[in-house]
Amino acid sequence: MRRLLLLLLVLGALFVGAVSAANLGIPPLVITREGEQKLILQLGQFRRVTQPGLSVMIPFIEEARRYDSRWLYNSTEARDIQTKDGEQLRIDNYTVWRIQDAQAFLEGFPAGPAAAEQRIDRVVRDAVREVIGRHTLSEVLKDQRVAIMKAITEKSRNTLADEGIEVADVRINRTELPANAESSVYARMVTERERLARKNRAGGEERARAIRAEADREARVIVAKARRDAELTRGEGDAESTRIYAEAYQQDPEFYAFRRSLEAYRKTIDGNTTLVLPPDSEFFRFLKNLK
Amino acid sequence: MPKSDSLGTDQKVKRSVARTLGNGLIVLIVLGVLGFWASLGLYTLEPGQAAILLQFGRHKGTVGVDGLHWTWPPPIVTRRVVNVGELRNEDFGVVGGARRAEVEAAGEAERAADVNEATMQTSDNNIVHVSFAVQYRISDPYKALYRVAELSSMVRSAAAAAMRQVAGRMTVDAVLREERAALTADAATLLQDVLDSYEAGIEVQSVELQDVQPPDEVRAAFDDVVAANQDANRAVNEAEGYRNEVLPRARAEATELRESALGYRDATIAEAKGEAGRFTALVAEYAKAPEVTRQRLYLETMEEVLPEVEKVIIEPGSTPVLPYLPLGRAGRVSQ
Repeated sequence: MRRLLLLLLVLGALFVGAVSAANLGIPPLVITREGEQKLILQLGQFRRVTQPGLSVMIPFIEEARRYDSRWLYNSTEARDIQTKDGEQLRIDNYTVWRIQDAQAFLEGFPAGPAAAEQRIDRVVRDAVREVIGRHTLSEVLKDQRVAIMKAITEKSRNTLADEGIEVADVRINRTELPANAESSVYARMVTERERLARKNRAGGEERARAIRAEADREARVIVAKARRDAELTRGEGDAESTRIYAEAYQQDPEFYAFRRSLEAYRKTIDGNTTLVLPPDSEFFRFLKNLK
Repeated sequence: MPKSDSLGTDQKVKRSVARTLGNGLIVLIVLGVLGFWASLGLYTLEPGQAAILLQFGRHKGTVGVDGLHWTWPPPIVTRRVVNVGELRNEDFGVVGGARRAEVEAAGEAERAADVNEATMQTSDNNIVHVSFAVQYRISDPYKALYRVAELSSMVRSAAAAAMRQVAGRMTVDAVLREERAALTADAATLLQDVLDSYEAGIEVQSVELQDVQPPDEVRAAFDDVVAANQDANRAVNEAEGYRNEVLPRARAEATELRESALGYRDATIAEAKGEAGRFTALVAEYAKAPEVTRQRLYLETMEEVLPEVEKVIIEPGSTPVLPYLPLGRAGRVSQ
């Protein structure tokens, strides 16, 4: 009973001790964490790559080297690159990559990941230069951007595949015109804006004048139609009154003429009128006879 | 012997008691140590936290429920607690961004770099400053920790590239005004796709535009276009105003014309009816005594007319008086 307990205790302590030692990198146990891989070398010779978890190696003969297994990020400094039509572009990009084959990686870069980053930088730069050089400026800036990035990624991936590196993505970030080209872009932008401003103002005037003209036309039509209606109405009045007069005067046209003449005299003869009257006029009929 | 026997028995009892006690003590110690070790496996999670459990370094599981949990204690299982609920933010471009104070304090070079970060080219080869912010949270902590390195740099670069790519497909007017919503939505979608392809375990919450401006060098020209738009609108408004003034006026005039014509018509007819009625009445009486009535009317008229008039009475064919007529007296007076 006692011995069993002691044995258990000793075994447990040994295990904990071995695992703790493994955490510090001391064999025989090897702990590989998520996000890393360990390369086991036997006297400098590649043996195997560990997966995350617990594995074993022989002390003193074997050694372990730790490598990242995550996607790594590497950004490249901006540099001038010439397009097919001879324009200079400042381009910067970043690369996402990982160590896919640790053995090949070790052979390619015995000095470690820093050397690998330089290599990636160089490969990607060459790929960018070559692919951009096949396209014109407008293609790079506009419609071909995605295709260009794909081509660069593809090319970098193929080149680096043999060296244990997997390139997931090369992405162009900034594509800038060089400083001297920028001012000409600004000049062009300004003239474009001026054109637009002029067009807008003229367009406004066009619409405004159309509205005014239309309003004037409508107003004229409204008044003219009213005038027409008014004339028709007046005509109606005239016709009706004429009919009424005619009907009435028809009863005795002669009397009408007489009466109407008298009325006319009354209206037309005033103080400014000189009347030359023969004494035998109707008016003086009795005047004469009385003499 | 009996003495020694009794002594021996006594010692035996003592020894056995001591052994039992010793055994018990060892069991207690062992249990205590085990209990203490086991208690190291207890941990609590607050809301928004997740724990990644690594068994000898290998991913064993992710616990996302808040509360008290137990797992095998270290060094068998190690835990890593990640804040998954936390909304993380990345700002791009200094203009109006949250990092403004920070960047302005940092000096000229830093500021230039930050402005550069927001400088983009549009499909019509214009240059605009688009400052924006990206909000994201960790949706898969295992991926975020163990599939990608330098997470925030990666998010930053991917976001800047995505925004550039989307802006590069649009015209400057679309970016500045018309399609800002599409710009952010497309950039968010693209960024999510790109980050998914890196297995980043990140969920892009939103891409928000902070400020979209043409570069300082050309801003006046852009402002003038806006002013021109306003000018155009004002001209149109004024024209509408004119129309609103002219048309009612015309309608008023039309109404006046129509009404006055109606008035004329009705008045004329009424007058005619009156006069006709009067005549009809008169004719009826006239017919009874035509001669007398005729005389009377004539004389009445003369009576009324003649007093005003200058009268010259000439006997026809009698005296050859100088037929001088003072015609046009009015003319003479005025001479």
